[in-house]
Amino acid sequence: MNRLLDPDTGMIIWTIVTFLALVLVLKLSAWGPLLRAIAERDSRIKANVDAAEAARAAAEQVRADLDVQMAGLSAKGRELLAQAQKEAEALRIRLRASAEADSASLRQKTMQDLAAEKDRLVGELRKEVAGLSVLAAEKLIRKSIDAGVQKSVLEDFYRDLDARKAAN
Amino acid sequence: MNFEEILAHHIINRYSSNLYVHGINFGLSSHLITMWIVAGLVALLMIYAARSSSAAGRVLRGGVEAIVIYMRDDMLHPIFHEDAEAYLPYFLTLFFFIFAANLVGLVPRASAVMSNPNVTGGLALCTFALIHLAGCKAQGPIQYLKHIVPPGLPLLLVPLLFVIEFLGIVAKCLALCIRLFANILSGHVVSLAFLSLIFIFAQMSRPVGLLVSPMAVGLALFAYLLDVLVAVLQAYIFTILTAVFVGGAVHPH
Repeated sequence: MNRLLDPDTGMIIWTIVTFLALVLVLKLSAWGPLLRAIAERDSRIKANVDAAEAARAAAEQVRADLDVQMAGLSAKGRELLAQAQKEAEALRIRLRASAEADSASLRQKTMQDLAAEKDRLVGELRKEVAGLSVLAAEKLIRKSIDAGVQKSVLEDFYRDLDARKAAN
Repeated sequence: MNFEEILAHHIINRYSSNLYVHGINFGLSSHLITMWIVAGLVALLMIYAARSSSAAGRVLRGGVEAIVIYMRDDMLHPIFHEDAEAYLPYFLTLFFFIFAANLVGLVPRASAVMSNPNVTGGLALCTFALIHLAGCKAQGPIQYLKHIVPPGLPLLLVPLLFVIEFLGIVAKCLALCIRLFANILSGHVVSLAFLSLIFIFAQMSRPVGLLVSPMAVGLALFAYLLDVLVAVLQAYIFTILTAVFVGGAVHPH
């Protein structure tokens, strides 16, 4: 067992030579390509991450713009709504005024028509009453009265009637 | 054959041929051949992982990439910062070489290369050289030598402290060497000791030996599984401590 710890210079040198040769061989044929592949993949991943970050930033910007636009549109909408309400109120007032004016005018016209009709009917009634009165008087006195006397009597009668009406 | 002989038979490096150059034996031995097999295996697997586009290659590549990225980002980058990429091939090779040698050492009839202090000593010497080379490269030789001694000391103490600090670096590397070989060696010794219990008890009484054997095999299996954990753990520890020591030389403050 003492041989276990015996120094063996040949083995030490062989170890160093073998190990350094392995370092050289692997550096040239394995680690080089492997590290290059890893570096390429890292840069590809980094580029993808950067692109994703840029896309996210652009999306954030678009969203911010849209938010601003939405806020503007909302304010404009509220403004338009208020204006529409105002205009509708004005229109309502105008229409109401117009309707009231029309109604008043119609009522006045109707009243005028009614008055005219009444006057006409009163006139006709007067004539009828006068004719009947004359007829009655004629029958009463059995005597015909000429048209000039009849007219003069009727006018007197109407004057008396109007005077009495005015007195009442 | 006693227990010591059994251990020696399984663990000690055996030369199959001798080739002396200036009194140094460069002949073939069991550990040297296993080390070359390990190095070849690591080279083949890593090249396959790096270059193959087959399904198995992609799976292997995924596993290797995970370790590579971990070592680059979590182990070397905090120590070497932007120089981490330059040191990465050395530390990756160191980790995979020790890890593969430890695993191959667990295969029955194969030699545990890292249980040989000369092998771990060779790797520790590489670390020792790298510490000074990296320090000289990063700071320049004069500045590096000046920074070995902490600044602000009385002039008389500087030579003494220089020797102490230098011995400190030697001790760190020696500790690396001993830690790795002792851990791997102890794993094999424990497994062998548990299995030897069967024969020790069987020599006393055959029925007792039979009774002890399931327990001994179970314990040996447990120690073996523990060795798998030790294989990766010791490879990691050797690699990260080397990185810390080299980092100390590159960034003295």
